[in-house]
Amino acid sequence: MQVKIYPSSLKALFFILLSISLLALTAPGKASALDGTDILLQVDRNLNPETYEMYRKLINIEPDGTKKEFVLYSVKKGQDKMVALFLSPASEKGRSTLRLDDNMWLYIPNVGKPIRITSLQSVVGGVFNNSDILRLDYSAEYDVASITEEGDLYLLELKAKTNTVAYDLLKMQVDKKALVPTTIDCFAASGMLIKTLYYKEPKDFGNGIVRPSVLETDSPLYKGYKSAMVYAKITPKELADEVFSLNYLSRVDELR
Amino acid sequence: MVTRVKKEIYRIATLLLWFGLLLPISGHAEDYSFDLDEFEKKSFSWGGYAEFKWDHNWINQTGTFGLFGFHDNPRTDLDRLTSTIQLDGNYNKGIVDFNWLLQASAQKDQVDAEQNLDIFSAYASIKPAPAVTFEIGKKTYKWGKGYAWNPVSFIDRPKDPSNPEDALEGYIGIGFDLIKSLPGTLKTLALTGALLPVFEDVNDDFGEQNHINLAAKLYLLYRDTDIDFVFFTGDSRSTRYGIDFSKNLASNFEIHGEVAYVPKQRVKSLNSSGILESREIAVSSYLLGLRYLTENDITTILEFYHNDAGYSEAEMDQFFQLVSDANTQYNSTGDDSLFQQAAIISKSGYAKPQVGRNYIYAKVTQKEPFDLLYFTPGITTIINLDDKSYSLSSEAVYTGFTNWELRLRYTRVEGGRFTEHGEKLNESKLEMRVRYYF
Repeated sequence: MQVKIYPSSLKALFFILLSISLLALTAPGKASALDGTDILLQVDRNLNPETYEMYRKLINIEPDGTKKEFVLYSVKKGQDKMVALFLSPASEKGRSTLRLDDNMWLYIPNVGKPIRITSLQSVVGGVFNNSDILRLDYSAEYDVASITEEGDLYLLELKAKTNTVAYDLLKMQVDKKALVPTTIDCFAASGMLIKTLYYKEPKDFGNGIVRPSVLETDSPLYKGYKSAMVYAKITPKELADEVFSLNYLSRVDELR
Repeated sequence: MVTRVKKEIYRIATLLLWFGLLLPISGHAEDYSFDLDEFEKKSFSWGGYAEFKWDHNWINQTGTFGLFGFHDNPRTDLDRLTSTIQLDGNYNKGIVDFNWLLQASAQKDQVDAEQNLDIFSAYASIKPAPAVTFEIGKKTYKWGKGYAWNPVSFIDRPKDPSNPEDALEGYIGIGFDLIKSLPGTLKTLALTGALLPVFEDVNDDFGEQNHINLAAKLYLLYRDTDIDFVFFTGDSRSTRYGIDFSKNLASNFEIHGEVAYVPKQRVKSLNSSGILESREIAVSSYLLGLRYLTENDITTILEFYHNDAGYSEAEMDQFFQLVSDANTQYNSTGDDSLFQQAAIISKSGYAKPQVGRNYIYAKVTQKEPFDLLYFTPGITTIINLDDKSYSLSSEAVYTGFTNWELRLRYTRVEGGRFTEHGEKLNESKLEMRVRYYF
């Protein structure tokens, strides 16, 4: 039905352009000809729309299997704005975190005012830190330093654009077909491996979003411990810029 | 025979089916099920915590406040039990929200018992747009960037630097909040205003009665720096101006500061003749602080606080000497009239925490040392820079059981005779707190 609305010449042009684009992206042995920045941009768009709302669960898993879970509602707009609100457990309920570029704040209802936090802190404990929880697009924070190919993967080395970014260097493995990350090693400026992120279990979230539904992480700094983010809902959403401000932090729940 | 073969095929098929069902489960390292229905938004929501606290106090029997409390019934120690329930809630109806925060507590020790029921906040918000809010009712504003002190917090009750994250009781007023987001180096502009009436039974502890006061705060996020310009005017308290800022210098390093200026502030202190006198002076107070996180998760909060309106060492000495004289008089004659006089004077400010002029606050915590998840030990000190006396607390917080928080804290004060901490009520204190969130 949908095809009928295209004039036949436009339809032909559309398929030719689509075929050329697909060939350019999937042709083997052509990584050097590919623009790493374009791939990174595509990775970002495949992980989530530029402006969206999302529900996710954070799970901290101890070596003995004991788990602690947090449920978050998040909204993101553009390249530099994100807010996350804790819905569970009761001890964290109502806490919200805001990110504007490299600026981060935490609002605790009992304290009653937002305080600045840093990206390397963690508001939930476990292996995920604030920059993982309030992650902006990778392309917003990193430049592609190099790109190589290995089997079904692109290997991207991403260098932080500024020294306020949590990890100085990322080594990202990208699935060539799906153009989503599979594994990311995160390094400090000293060269120390801080953690490894594993994207798993692809899922169709609707609205054309097909992406991993689980993000696991472990760290040599937390031997035996593991944390995971489970994504349940990712939906495009129109949002006012003013939502991403300190004065709005106590009211994030109104967006749901 | 055919039946047996059928049964055998059925048995194998069943086994294969079970194997097939189990295979994906055993293949997953973890169960990542996530039911969103239980987190669906409701128009009415509530929560809070129940807390039980026990503290053992070693009384400073020769100190000013030890003599105050126990000159007629000397004690070496005191055990206190406190139970608290805090309830918060929200009811949403369209663009209107009703919010409340209530706290009830009961406290008992070997000398006294008391119960309190407080409405910390209860207000309605009307939000015609995300950028516009009108509020009416009782609420806290919590202006300022400091962790332990907030010189620019003109319309809030002072917080306790020993427990700076505890909820505070608000004031009744009418307010508005306007937000504007912008492209460029000035990212956010926000204006908050509040009218605070002070009448009999309405904010009557705020200041002089029968006046309506105005407070306003202009917030800017400019070049990745939070900046607030704060203003208060009215006849309940004198006009005052303030500015604060906060900025992240690196991914692990934040700095903040506040300056408040009050051109005409009335302060009361004991003069050299031991008489309480009141005078009007221009007062500046300021705070500079930082928050630093090391690679091994040690967080340091460090703040310097200066307050022109605080008591000098000589003024503090006058008060300590008065109580010492009161004790000498009481021991020799049984007459406690000087104690009664000192009790009245103490209400003018001497009994408040951190009443001096220059302080350092330092808090060092290490998150999850030795791979102990949810365990955070820390030490905190508050130093009076003028008389060199200080308090030192060590604490351990464990949050490993969902919705439970366990805190153990030991505090010791050090200081010579006639120093702020040397004259405190307690020499040391052991405190155990169990809190359950619901």
